[in-house]
Amino acid sequence: MSRFRRTLRQTFTIARRDFIATVFTPIFLLFLFAPLIMGSFGAIGGLGAASVTDGAQDKTRIIAIVPATTARPIDEADTRLRAMFRNDEAPPELSIVAPATDPAAQARAAFETRDVDASAVLYGPLDAPQILYGPRGKRSADYLGLLAQTTLAAEKLGGTLPTIAATKTQITRSTTSVGGQHQSAFFAVFGIFFLTLFLSGQVVGTMAEERNNKVIEVLAAAVPLESVFFGKLIGMFGVAVLFVAFWGTVVTQITSLMPAAAAVALGDLTPAVGAPMFALLFAAYFSMAYLLLGSVFLGVGAQATTMREIQMLSLPITILQVAMFGLSSAAVSHPGSWLATAAELFPLSSPFAMAGRAANSPELWPHVAALAWQALWVTIFITVGARLFRRGVLQSGSARPFWRRKAKVAAA
Amino acid sequence: MNDEWAVTASGIVKRFGDRRVVDGVDMMVPRGSVYGVLGPNGAGKTTTLRMLLGIIEPDEGSRTLLGYDNPRDASDRVGYLPEERGLYPAMKAREAIAFLGALRGLDWKTGRERAVVLMEAAGLGHAVDEKIRKLSKGMAQLVQLLGSVVHQPDLLVLDEPFSGLDPVNQERLEKLILNERDRGATILFSTHIMSHAERLCDRLAIIAGGKRRFEGTVADARGILPQRVHYTPHRPDPAIRGVLPADAVADGDSWRFELPNEGIESLLVRLIDAGYGISGLSIERPGLHEAFVRIVGQHGDVLVVKAA
Repeated sequence: MSRFRRTLRQTFTIARRDFIATVFTPIFLLFLFAPLIMGSFGAIGGLGAASVTDGAQDKTRIIAIVPATTARPIDEADTRLRAMFRNDEAPPELSIVAPATDPAAQARAAFETRDVDASAVLYGPLDAPQILYGPRGKRSADYLGLLAQTTLAAEKLGGTLPTIAATKTQITRSTTSVGGQHQSAFFAVFGIFFLTLFLSGQVVGTMAEERNNKVIEVLAAAVPLESVFFGKLIGMFGVAVLFVAFWGTVVTQITSLMPAAAAVALGDLTPAVGAPMFALLFAAYFSMAYLLLGSVFLGVGAQATTMREIQMLSLPITILQVAMFGLSSAAVSHPGSWLATAAELFPLSSPFAMAGRAANSPELWPHVAALAWQALWVTIFITVGARLFRRGVLQSGSARPFWRRKAKVAAA
Repeated sequence: MNDEWAVTASGIVKRFGDRRVVDGVDMMVPRGSVYGVLGPNGAGKTTTLRMLLGIIEPDEGSRTLLGYDNPRDASDRVGYLPEERGLYPAMKAREAIAFLGALRGLDWKTGRERAVVLMEAAGLGHAVDEKIRKLSKGMAQLVQLLGSVVHQPDLLVLDEPFSGLDPVNQERLEKLILNERDRGATILFSTHIMSHAERLCDRLAIIAGGKRRFEGTVADARGILPQRVHYTPHRPDPAIRGVLPADAVADGDSWRFELPNEGIESLLVRLIDAGYGISGLSIERPGLHEAFVRIVGQHGDVLVVKAA
């Protein structure tokens, strides 16, 4: 058997052991359904926050202090204008109040009432209205101004605005839009960041099992440490792929049940390389991001001697991942800039930035080069990690660095 | 490729810090033999074995394993039981053995089948599907040992294999070692328990203070010390000391002394002529234990190394 084939076989023996040891445990179910738990808590929190917001909005009003003759036209104008807004963007409900002897005082008093929260209050003639607004009421004030203008225009046209019969035709671009590309780029960067944030950090503690159980000596005798490291990385990557496949299937099924509006939003993703190639590159760059970050975490984590040390590594790991996300996000916002080039070349941010590039640029050859570049760095990180482990933990390294040894030989 | 030697080492050196833990050890292990590496605690036995296996690299010197300069190239034909035993606690015993075989190139299916056979032969048939964490320390150690032979290696390296085993399991292990030798494997093991080495080893090396102090057969080692005479006269008489050699030491009514260079006959004639007669006489070859103590004790630096 050739050395390469033996190394490959040993790598997959380690990977198989790690995959099975991880997946066939009750804890894995907890891990697999963690997003559901997280989502449930998020939904509960969101519902709570929404009910608080809705409660507040139910009692918020914009108020028009206008004579009875204007009440109906302004109400009709409000109905017409409000139709342009989506529910969550609509201004607060309009209350029409007849003017008292001092409308200015009446308007100010509206902000003090306990029954409702006045967001903005209009009074005076419609061609020169006075509008008062409270904190966060600027937009309501603008709406009241527009409402007065529309009402006035309708009055001048005999009470109603003219109706038109517009012909609406949806146009689909034959080329990708700049907005769609940027949206795709951000989706790619965030998607890979999100997945690696959850999944790659797990690798950090995997060597601890071998160290604590003293299995490492058996492994090190039978298998090159590089194979041990790579095998563990592949094993955990298999776990990550299983996780992504499971949730990918779930999300796909849920998406098919979503309203058309959501599908339209997804339709805005128009990557420059085309959707199928984009999906392929997304998968490839997710794999490389996992392997790159995982190999670094594995190498660093292998040096830790206790679980406490491993736990303490979680903060710098998260910071590193967020930093790579930040760098890549900035890069995809400025395609072709020196920042983008730097992010594409720096090994740890390269998968994120290149996934973004796939959305912004149709060229394919840079992706081939980038994947090879990233694979090279995975190899480098694993090799360095294994050597540090061999030197530090297995105490294989000589105490005297090689340059000093050479100096000694020369002196002799 | 060298067909004569399973393992060779030439002047291998390992430094930890400024200390030379292994200091120029030479070793030639004949194929098909049982070879012991003996030495006191901290002598450098484990470090030597780890270098031979390629777990760590020597700072100086060279070694071959089954004819290969790079021990990794022979790893599928080697079995190893480290001094610090370790298995995955959540694995079943059968899987653990198959896993250790798979690391050495044995397919999982064959590994599982052989695991059952080996465990039953070792009296562990009832624990085939037990998880490692549920086994006693001695049983887990035996499982690991079986894992090191499941792929039927050409070379079996055992680091302190008897430590932690009860007498019954020690005997099982001795039997297993001899079975492996009969199968054609070379066995290289380290120990500081002389009785096992004396019973098992075809050849042995004694390491102390990181250096090899002796290499040869058990008989060679025992031959370092002169034979000892155990003599009992017919009648006890303190004056007999004048006839006996100067190193004679009283042991009750008997005397013990080294066999004189000129032999025993002339001494016996003198004792009979002096009227002491011979009530009992035996000539004993010293054991490996005494030889080991003599060889190791000659090198005061051993204690310095242990203290460090």
